Amino acid sequence: MSSVVGRQRVVVTGLGVITSIGVDVDAFRAGIHSGRSGVRPITAFDTSGFAHANGCEVVGFEPQRWIRRLAVDELGRASQFAVAAAAMAARDAGLSHDAIRARRALVAVGTTDGESRDLDQLVQLQLDRGTEDVDPVLAQRVDPGRLSTSIVRELGLSDVEVLTIPTACAAGNYAVGYGFDAIRGGDADVALCGGADALCRKTFSGFYRIGTIAPEVCQPFDRDRKGILTGEGAGIVLMESLDAALDRGARIHAEVLGYGLACDAYHAVAPLQDGIARCMRLAHRDAGVTPADIDFISAHGTGTKANDVTESSAIREVFGDRPPPTISIKAMIGHAMGAASALGAAACVLALTGGFIPPTINHVNTDPECGLDCVPNQARPAELRIVQNNALAFGGNNAVLVLGRYPND
Amino acid sequence: MTANAMPTEDIVVSAWTATSPFGRGADALARGLAAGRAATADLDRATWPGPFDRAALIPGFDVAGILGRRGTRSMDRITGITVSTVGMLLHDSGLLDRDGGVVEDPDNVGLVLGSGGSVQSTMDFTLEGLTGEKPYHVDPARFPNAVMNRAAGQSAIWYGLKGPNATVFGGAVTGLLALSYAARLLRFGRCDVLLCGAAEEFSPRRAWLVARTRGGEATAEPLGEGCVMLLLESSATARRCGRRALASVLATRFAAGDEHDGPRQTLARCVNRALAESGVDARELRLVATSGADGALGKEEEAALADVLGENPAPRGPLRLEPRRLLGDTSTASAAFQIAAVLAAARDRADLDGAVALVTSVDPIGVVGCVVLRLYPEGQS
Repeated sequence: MSSVVGRQRVVVTGLGVITSIGVDVDAFRAGIHSGRSGVRPITAFDTSGFAHANGCEVVGFEPQRWIRRLAVDELGRASQFAVAAAAMAARDAGLSHDAIRARRALVAVGTTDGESRDLDQLVQLQLDRGTEDVDPVLAQRVDPGRLSTSIVRELGLSDVEVLTIPTACAAGNYAVGYGFDAIRGGDADVALCGGADALCRKTFSGFYRIGTIAPEVCQPFDRDRKGILTGEGAGIVLMESLDAALDRGARIHAEVLGYGLACDAYHAVAPLQDGIARCMRLAHRDAGVTPADIDFISAHGTGTKANDVTESSAIREVFGDRPPPTISIKAMIGHAMGAASALGAAACVLALTGGFIPPTINHVNTDPECGLDCVPNQARPAELRIVQNNALAFGGNNAVLVLGRYPND
Repeated sequence: MTANAMPTEDIVVSAWTATSPFGRGADALARGLAAGRAATADLDRATWPGPFDRAALIPGFDVAGILGRRGTRSMDRITGITVSTVGMLLHDSGLLDRDGGVVEDPDNVGLVLGSGGSVQSTMDFTLEGLTGEKPYHVDPARFPNAVMNRAAGQSAIWYGLKGPNATVFGGAVTGLLALSYAARLLRFGRCDVLLCGAAEEFSPRRAWLVARTRGGEATAEPLGEGCVMLLLESSATARRCGRRALASVLATRFAAGDEHDGPRQTLARCVNRALAESGVDARELRLVATSGADGALGKEEEAALADVLGENPAPRGPLRLEPRRLLGDTSTASAAFQIAAVLAAARDRADLDGAVALVTSVDPIGVVGCVVLRLYPEGQS
């Protein structure tokens, strides 16, 4: 840290995903290619009293497959997702836990809710038992630091900077960006970064109250879109320097070219065109690209009236009248909160390697106010070089990531 | 703003403030710590139910009284503490204009806050849904309080801070992680000026959670609260804006224990690496601020420092600071208060010009961290 920072190129060599359309990378890739929907009635909590309660829950998740050292029941659901996705990313990168342990590491996990599902449970138990006292096992589990420290403990890492980044629904991009800087600057040799969240009552009831939960499906950029569906899961990418990846003969999925952070400083929940546009421009400058270089945008694209029209306007402000195809995987996997942009980044990586643009499903009529080519309903084959992953959050926390194919010829 | 990064040595603290159980402002904290009297007091049990009888609260904290009634009604305690502390720092550094916005290019002023949000707000929000007539009868104005980036986002809104706005969390080590995060943003030119710190609130729900996660005498050590804010920038930016450096950040380093190494070995190795990176010998350390964790963990931290410092006891050894003894356990804000304690202890101490300080932190989960600072009590331009 005491010398001038070099300019290491940073590559993604491992991916781990837990989603409502698949609990491993192959299933997720197949899902975003075929346009699978993860929508089903919510079972995470009692939904009686809500007129509608669809969501995108993870099913068929077997934590024991990935979590070997830690006791699964001492981890909340979000931490379980995070640890499983990290172990998956390590395996995908062809790195044993010992090999990672031998390197200087950074572990950063973004989240919106941490272990709020357990906090919900604590409140329910207090009501049932008629006491303000809390259950000791759950009290241990609710520490939001556990989303990241559990990865460190499971992998047995020691020389590691480890943090949780609770920047809400842009948190995944924040975490990947932080790992990118750490590798680029030579502060870490390997970074496991992304996001994780578990579906919970607290967040569902909040979005429901402000009228942003869709009754049935999520339809980003559609004229008749009715809102979000809450989702869950985790996405973790393993990053290392290009030199390190080449040295060990690793399979390189993609290159991280840069990212941008900007704050709207405007409203607690409503997005602002200026902040989003500024963030995209910062990301382009950091990555050394121009808008014309971007082959598609993985939008924040929540499917609410406000988000989609504001984000579309910001995209047109930066890209002009003919922006690149702009899709939202939230139609397939719902809004996975802190995991959303990490899973968006994973989808971008899989699109780059697979040569296709994932579709925006549930699409009927494009909203002329959005006016974007959202690749409706069917994936599109495409030679992709450079792609962009948008993330917006409460508090005007914007983060945009730019990824490139490797080799980038 | 290009990606041409600069050396970390160039990252400086050019101002700081705090809202603490000793009151509002850096002076109040410095005086309180110097006097050495604990800020803990008996709790008014009607206002503060829960397992603790004593706590170190910010005296008479009233967000509407500080910021006005407009816009503060839906702010929870941690948000009010943070927004008001950010305002004090902006004001003290001459960064606020008459309309309450920032003077310098707002796109390049950002905020990195160490915070885990408010468990009180989060659980209260759930409770409202569970006990209301309908499960969605929750207060939409309070929904953002139930999300952990509320305090940072609201501070940006209040003062128009359009640079990077980040919330980071890592238990007791949070304040050091925030400093590391902010330093890295500055090194990569992602922002010119960052407000960087950590915040914690006292609440009955936090008290219950802490009591049930502590071993032994769960309520023996009182909880504290507050917020510390540093103004962080490159020395070049500080010079350009006519601000003097109070400290420079030489290194931040973190590590985690495993089945082979407990906190003692892990922290000793972590500190030695940070000192090596700083080009500083352990014998040069003039101030050391420890987390002063309770019980076995605190003993491990002490043992690690003995390993690092060697046989160099007081009065020849470094000045030792342990603000937790006076402020109570400020949890998420604790490491930031240790940094503030170093800066407070160095004030008006010309003899400490150029002195090196170490801040260490240990979290019960097994994560440790440290920061090495070079102090310029007189200010360096």
